[in-house]
Amino acid sequence: MGNKSHITATINGEARDFLCEPRQSLLEVLRDVLYLTGTKEGCNDGNCGACSVIVDGVLLDACCMLAVETEGSSIETIEGLAKEGELHPLQSAFLEETGMQCGICTPGFLMSAKALLDKNPSPNEQQVRHWLAGNLCRCTGYDKLVRSVMKAADTLAEA
Amino acid sequence: MTQLNVVGKSVVRPDAYDKVTGGKHYPVNYSLPGMLHGKLLRSPYPHAKIVAIDTSEAEKLPGVKAVITHADVPQNVFTPVYFVPAHAKSMVQDFVVMSDRVRWAGQPVAAVAATSADVAEAALQLIDVEYEELQPVFDPEEAMKEGAPQLHDNAPNNIAKAPSFSFGDLEAGFAEADHIFEGVYQTQRVHTCYMEPRVCVVDSETDGRITVHSSMQHGFGLREKMAVALGIPESKVNVVKPTYIGGGFGGKLDVGHIEPVAALLSLETGRPVRIEHTRGEDFIATTRNPIKVYLKTGVKNDGAYTARYIKSILDAGAHATHGAEVIMVHGLYGTFFPWKCPNQTWEGFSVYTNNIIGGGYRGYGAPQGCFAVESQNDEICEKLGLDPIEFRSGNTHKEGDPHPVLQGHTLNSYRLDDCLKKGAERIGFDRRAPANSSEGAKKRGIGFACHPLWVSGCLGFPDIYEHSGATVKLNRDGTADVVSSCIDLGSGQITMLTQVVAEELGLASEAVRVVYADTDTAPFDAPTHASRATYSAGLATKAAAVETRNRLFKAASAVMEANPGDLYLEDGKVLVKGAPDSGVPITEITARAESAFVQMTEEGPRLTTIEEKGTIIGSASQAPPSNPSPVAAQFVEVEVDTDTGEVKVLHVVHAADAGRVFHPKAAEGQVEGGFQQGMGYALMEHLQFDQDTGACLSSDFLDYKIPTSMEMPPKIESIFVESNEPTGPYGAKSMSELCLIIPAAAIANAVYNAIGVRVTELPITPERVLRALGKL
Repeated sequence: MGNKSHITATINGEARDFLCEPRQSLLEVLRDVLYLTGTKEGCNDGNCGACSVIVDGVLLDACCMLAVETEGSSIETIEGLAKEGELHPLQSAFLEETGMQCGICTPGFLMSAKALLDKNPSPNEQQVRHWLAGNLCRCTGYDKLVRSVMKAADTLAEA
Repeated sequence: MTQLNVVGKSVVRPDAYDKVTGGKHYPVNYSLPGMLHGKLLRSPYPHAKIVAIDTSEAEKLPGVKAVITHADVPQNVFTPVYFVPAHAKSMVQDFVVMSDRVRWAGQPVAAVAATSADVAEAALQLIDVEYEELQPVFDPEEAMKEGAPQLHDNAPNNIAKAPSFSFGDLEAGFAEADHIFEGVYQTQRVHTCYMEPRVCVVDSETDGRITVHSSMQHGFGLREKMAVALGIPESKVNVVKPTYIGGGFGGKLDVGHIEPVAALLSLETGRPVRIEHTRGEDFIATTRNPIKVYLKTGVKNDGAYTARYIKSILDAGAHATHGAEVIMVHGLYGTFFPWKCPNQTWEGFSVYTNNIIGGGYRGYGAPQGCFAVESQNDEICEKLGLDPIEFRSGNTHKEGDPHPVLQGHTLNSYRLDDCLKKGAERIGFDRRAPANSSEGAKKRGIGFACHPLWVSGCLGFPDIYEHSGATVKLNRDGTADVVSSCIDLGSGQITMLTQVVAEELGLASEAVRVVYADTDTAPFDAPTHASRATYSAGLATKAAAVETRNRLFKAASAVMEANPGDLYLEDGKVLVKGAPDSGVPITEITARAESAFVQMTEEGPRLTTIEEKGTIIGSASQAPPSNPSPVAAQFVEVEVDTDTGEVKVLHVVHAADAGRVFHPKAAEGQVEGGFQQGMGYALMEHLQFDQDTGACLSSDFLDYKIPTSMEMPPKIESIFVESNEPTGPYGAKSMSELCLIIPAAAIANAVYNAIGVRVTELPITPERVLRALGKL
């Protein structure tokens, strides 16, 4: 099954290194090599957004990036969203607004929403809906997710 | 209604913190040391006999630990559906885990366990299968004809099951009618699209016992079907309840191939084996059965029904499984008994084809029925110029009526008229213009539909398990643990159970935890399905909490030297009636109950009483007393682009009588998520197959479109017409399936109002709209 590459990257602010096969996706490495199982697999072909992570500031599907491509990069996953035990305003809003049901898609939505708010701290509803269209949820009808993101944007603006 | 402290409030979901920080406790995250990975080899042919299988090359691949084929699988024939016995008389037994006869493209024919999923995948390519192809048949009406290819020996004309009901005099009813309406309504194959794949880890012991972890909706059903499939006693199988699963919607209500196959591979290798579906495998693992409904209705000039004849043809796919039950529910609760018609006949046919096997899906036969009946009701009102709300009201049941299906039961709570009235007011139904009257290429329309009879569980259905159980234990730190086999699919069952226990024990909801359960240690519970969890599991858990409270009062009575009947709970304390200063904290009673008989104190030994000793624990296992009907009406405003054929939903109002609402935000979430699935069903979702090869053509989310946040309407309003269901926990009954049963009919009626042409086949795609408008 081929030689393994040695990769060094920053994951959620920590320097990490890992071995991976050239064919392995970032998703597979996060889940099966680094045991960062917060990032979920919904389709493994870039259509559902459950594995959304932020690499060097860019939102992407971890299933569609090879792990070897992350050499030297900075990767943000759901495990890094809360800081020192304090939930990110997005997480608090999802929690308070019942912005999840089964929760499998939730980490992807949170990372996607974070990437949005990093770029545009005060999006309108249409912009939120447009941005989140790359993430599929089958439980909620998106309404409470959209409200949660709007609420978190308000909270961040007040801070 | 009595004053409640926790029930009825939108408390924070106990699972929310884990879920917003990267959800640990899903079956897909489960793994064990030394675990092998399994993969299934699937038939490329829809109908074939296996002549020979050669696995020798696969077995030689380094890392491969076991390869099995149908020759290694017990040929036990059973019904894989969790909620009925494996050999239920009302069902059809035609399923084996692996067979030498292939009946659908994608049927597993061999399996590999290897040290990694990649090795297992590579090994599949080395298995050589020789097939003898047989003629397939994909259309159920073709399959019913003489001379069609036969799928199962004991099912002439491929009819798996053909139930019918009749009452009154159909001929006289039609003779009495002033008008007769006839139509044919076709629904399509859709997938539940749970976001967590079907996945399992099965481990085995040297004595043959197996332990199963799986993303599924019923632990006890899985235990039973595993035992039957493998030919071992039930007590040899322990199924661990998943803390929660990543969605089910009915799509995880039957034993798939993966759990028994993983068990066989584990027994052979002595190692745990994990099998996870790819999304493509999930798309062919379960589906809502397509149903073609022929509907003929006679009405008087004033809109009163005189007669109705319904023929429903359900495409069961390769095995009957759920198709034998979906047809019944579709008949009873989807078309026949919701409406009051004096002369009715329904004939149902569940028909084998070489399509994929049908499964459960939220609504279970009713969306297909609601679409047909409510589309035709709309036609009747339009043609005869009747008030569509009065028409529904006049042809449905009333509060206090006898339950139309369950003898001896009454529709105690039934507020359909309120739902219709309030929903109409909220959307502004009186502003609805005549059909096709808006100017320009983009035309607006308003429509609605309702569903006048549904279930809170399965009480009364032949062979279907219904009872629930729970154990509730008080801890010394003032918290309570709940053991329940009721699985949380995402819709909030854990939250509901904590609310029930907190309410009964006077605790804050955060002080109650739903803890570990498995089939070895926890009481039986029927599946989380059929809108039953709040009603049935809620009632059983309430009964267990009452037992616990009684036990607490017994211990407290010894401590407080009071009669147990004179005690009550408030703010975490036990008090004597009439003496508000008498309170002793629950923690103190519980601590004394768990303490030694003689306690050493600063002052020396202190004797406590024998009577106050023993864990404060209660349990219950019981069937629910009834099966109350929730009802709902849904109003929808759409815009149809007559140039492109695109339908856009602008505004939704869902008015429901769900009895007492436990958790308003979660209840709204059911409405919103149900509408999303219903809108997908109405407008875009269609699991498509090559009509020559039977191969799935829409096996990813690129080709199988579900609504995203962009397509969803910006405004989905929920109105809860709260009633008090006297048999339910705190007045509650069910609500969730209706949220998906109604949308397709409501949207179809709104589309008609917009463009003046009716589409009677789902999904209402741009192509079908343009065809209906004569533009294609």
